[in-house]
Amino acid sequence: MAALASSLERDAELMLRVREGDQSSFAALLDRHRAPVIHFLYRMVQNQAVSEELAQEVFLRVYRSRTTYEPTAKFTTWLFRIATHLALNWIRDGRNEKSQESLDRETVQGATRQVADRNRTVEQELVYQARLAEVRQAIELLPAKQRAAVLMHKYEDMEYAQIAKALCCSESAVKSLLFRAYETLRSRLAHMA
Amino acid sequence: MQCPRENGSSAELMMAYTAGALEPSSQIELERHMVACEDCRKMAAQQKAVWDALDAWRPAAIPADFNDKLYQRIAEEAAVAWWQRPLRFNWAWGLRPALPVAAACAAIMVAFLVKEPLPAHLSPVPAEQKVSIEQVERALDDMDMLKQMSLTAPAEGPATERI
Repeated sequence: MAALASSLERDAELMLRVREGDQSSFAALLDRHRAPVIHFLYRMVQNQAVSEELAQEVFLRVYRSRTTYEPTAKFTTWLFRIATHLALNWIRDGRNEKSQESLDRETVQGATRQVADRNRTVEQELVYQARLAEVRQAIELLPAKQRAAVLMHKYEDMEYAQIAKALCCSESAVKSLLFRAYETLRSRLAHMA
Repeated sequence: MQCPRENGSSAELMMAYTAGALEPSSQIELERHMVACEDCRKMAAQQKAVWDALDAWRPAAIPADFNDKLYQRIAEEAAVAWWQRPLRFNWAWGLRPALPVAAACAAIMVAFLVKEPLPAHLSPVPAEQKVSIEQVERALDDMDMLKQMSLTAPAEGPATERI
């Protein structure tokens, strides 16, 4: 807990230094947070190129806001609020009309992107890739806000309050989103038990 | 222990249990309950399957040139003269959220500016049909009564947003 609090204060401290013009602090923030942001966006839009572009935009906006930054909320909450906003906009604008095509392409390329585990046999690898495709499809079929809530809850370990701020809704709304999302995922992925 | 499915706490409880986030005493209590409750056992197994499936989904590695591309974009933005930035701004995208509001304001403006005589069936109420003072007083009394009723009505729980 103490380590977490220290980490959060460190983010705010770094961002305040960026506000004062310290470029190395921005580099430090980038190294700390680019992976979670890119991974979150990738799982949201399920397109590698788009997720990288959106992640670039996230950090560009952070940089642009440096002169007016105030540590009124956790840095990660702010970061994921921007990321969620961009992802939801991208999804809403229908730029995912080729998402099925891109999903298929990703699925085909996934076998090369996801380095095959040398400990698995060929058959095991095929089973693994098939299960992975099911998981990705189950997530993609969730409504966008439910998807965002699940990804922040599961992969970023964010609390309900943080997710609520990122999604600009109440905590009770976040709980509702998560419970519905997990109920749907249980029905779609229960056969994997 | 009452079955969590009966008191509406099953989802949150199972999520916490299968994620290993329950207090030890709560975990023991739930496991004792699940010995006899097949529905809860099934739900726990399904939720665990979901966690395991999500754990298996690992995204690709971060591209090596991510930082370089970002710094290049930052440098390009910095190189744009201040007076050129509005020209490069994507107004269609930036103003998108304001478009519905602007459209509504424009419609209201048009409504005020374009004044046409009302059709005969919409003309002002003749004097003999005007509302009496007694009717107004009765309406105000009704409103007071309704207000009193809302103040004394039992408090409702927080509404769940419809997502």
